[in-house]
Amino acid sequence: MRTLDWVVMFGWLAFLVSYGLWRGRGSSSTQEFMLAGKTMPWYAMGLSIMATQASAITFISTTAQAYVDGMRFVQFYFGLPLAMVILSATAVPIFHRAKVYTAYEYLEHRFDAKTRLLVTIIFLISRGLGAGLALSAPAIVLSVILGWPFQTTILIMGGLVVLYTTLGGIKAVTWADVQQMTVILLALIMAFAVAISMLPSDVSFGDAVRLAGAAGKLNAVTTTFDWNDRYNIWSGLIGGMFLALAYFGTDQSQVQRYLTGKSIGQSRLGLLLNAMAKVPMQFFILFIGAMVFVVFLFVRPPMVFQPVAMEQVQASPQYAAIESRYEQAFDQRQAAARRIMASEAGALQEFRAAQTNLDAARADALKLADVSDTNYIFLSFVTHYLPVGIVGLVIAVIFTAAMSAISGEINSLATVTVIDIYKRHIVKDSSDTHYLGASRVATLFWGIYAMVFASTAKGFGALIEAVNQVGSLFYGGMLGVFVLAFFVKRCTATGAFIGVLAGEAAIFTTAQFTSAFLWYNVVGCVVVVAVGWLVSVAYSGAKTALSEP
Amino acid sequence: MTEPQRTVLDEPPPFLGSWKRIYVLVVIYLACVIGVFYWFTKSFAP
Repeated sequence: MRTLDWVVMFGWLAFLVSYGLWRGRGSSSTQEFMLAGKTMPWYAMGLSIMATQASAITFISTTAQAYVDGMRFVQFYFGLPLAMVILSATAVPIFHRAKVYTAYEYLEHRFDAKTRLLVTIIFLISRGLGAGLALSAPAIVLSVILGWPFQTTILIMGGLVVLYTTLGGIKAVTWADVQQMTVILLALIMAFAVAISMLPSDVSFGDAVRLAGAAGKLNAVTTTFDWNDRYNIWSGLIGGMFLALAYFGTDQSQVQRYLTGKSIGQSRLGLLLNAMAKVPMQFFILFIGAMVFVVFLFVRPPMVFQPVAMEQVQASPQYAAIESRYEQAFDQRQAAARRIMASEAGALQEFRAAQTNLDAARADALKLADVSDTNYIFLSFVTHYLPVGIVGLVIAVIFTAAMSAISGEINSLATVTVIDIYKRHIVKDSSDTHYLGASRVATLFWGIYAMVFASTAKGFGALIEAVNQVGSLFYGGMLGVFVLAFFVKRCTATGAFIGVLAGEAAIFTTAQFTSAFLWYNVVGCVVVVAVGWLVSVAYSGAKTALSEP
Repeated sequence: MTEPQRTVLDEPPPFLGSWKRIYVLVVIYLACVIGVFYWFTKSFAP
C-alpha cells in the first residue's frame, strides 16, 4: 500500500459514508427508517440484495476456492434463480399485502404469538452470530494485510457502519449498497484485466484457459450425484434452491430489502435482477481465481501467502530445505505447463506430479507456522501485482463489502428487535417517535454487539467454522414454517410450532451424518411441513371428536 | 406507529405482458447458463 492507495481507500470510505448519510436524511418515522417509506426502485433493491449477500469473505475466499479447488463452487448458486421466481410469485405479494414490517409479524397474522416469537428468537440467534462473523473474518485478514492492530480494523469497519446505519436507516443502507456493488464489479474487472496482462507474451488468453482446464480448475459442473459431495449440480439445484428460499424468503436481512419496494412489481424485479446476475457474477469471481492460478504458473508465488506466517517460516531451521523443494517443484510445474501448451505427450502427468510436490512443500511450510493461508491468496495477488491506486480501491472494496453485509444485518436485527420483541411484548402502545428512537438504540446495540463479538472471536478459528454452519442449521426450520403459512391452509398454530421443533431436531440429527450442509435445509423444511400438517390434522380431529355430544 | 402504506397491487410487468412469462424466461435463462457451463467444463477438462 503506497500513499495513493491510502488516499483512494480512505477517500472511497469517506464518500460512501457521506453518501449513505445524505441519502438517508429525513428518516423521521419508523416507516422511513425501516422500510424507506416504500419508495425504493427495483434496481436499488436488486443491487442491495446482492450486496447484502456478498460479504468480504465472498470475494476473498471465493477467488481462493477456485485457485485451490476449481470452479465447482458456482453450482452452489444454481438453485438461486429458481428460488427468486418462487418468492416473486409467493412471498413478495403475501408480505406486501399483509403490510408487515418483518416476515415474523406475518406469522402472528397466520398462526399465533408463540410461533412468531419462536421464529424471531431463531432469527436473532443465527443472524446475531452471523453479524459478528461478517465483521471478524475480514478484519482478521485486513489487519494482517494492512499491518493494523486487529481491534483498530474492527473499530473502523464497525464504527463507520454503525454511523450511517443508525442515522440513516434502511435508505442509507440500500443506497450505500448500490454504490458498493458498482465499485465491487469495477474492481473485479480491473483485477481480471491485470491477471490477464501478467501472462507471459507467449501465453495467450486461450492458452491460459487451456492450462486452467488441464489443472482441473474449470470444473464448473459436476453431474455425478454424491450425498457427501458439497457441490454438484443436484445439491446446487435442489439444496441450493431450498437454501436460497430460506435465506431470501425468511431471513429479515433480505426480506426487508424487498419490503422497501414502491410496489409488488418493483420488488419482484429486484429479486429477478438477483436471479439473472448472481450466477454469472459468481462464475466471473471464480474465473478470476482460476486465472490467478495460471499467472502463478509463470510468476513465482510466495510459498506462504500470509505475510506474518511467511516470516515465521523463514526464521525456522527447516526453511532452506523446504524452500529448495518448493523452487524445484515450481520450475518443474512451469516446464510442464509449457509442454501442455505444446500438446506434448505425458505433459499432464508431469504437471500433476510437480503440482503434488509443490503442494507438499507448501503444506510443510504451513505446518511450521500452524496457519491456513487460503484467505490471503487473492489479497496477496492484489497487493503485490495490481497498479498503485487500484490496490487501494480493491482493499476499499473488501472493506465496503464487509460493511454492506453488516449494515443489512444490524439494520434487520434492530427492526426485528423493535417490531417483534419491544413493541409486541414490552411497550405496546407508544408514539411513532418513541419507536423510531428505540430503532436507533437497537441499531446501535447490535452494531456494538457485532464489534464486541468480532473482537473476542479472533482466537477461536474452529469456533468460527462451527458458527458458520449455524446458519444452515436453522434455515430449514424457518423455511418450513413459512411453507406451512403460505400453502397449508389446514395448518394450525400448534401444528406449526411443533413442526418447527421437529424440523430443528431432524436437522441436528442429519448434521451428525453428513457435512453437506445444503441438504440440511431440504430435510428441515420437509420435516416441518410433514409434522406440522400431521399434528394439525390430528389436533383438529381430536378437537372435533371432543366437541361432539 | 404507522402501518406500512398501501402498495400498488398486481401491476403488470414492464415487458412480456405477464409475470408468468417472465418467470418462464428466467428458468430458460438458467437452463442456458448451466448448459454453457457444462460445455465449458467438458471442453476444458484435463
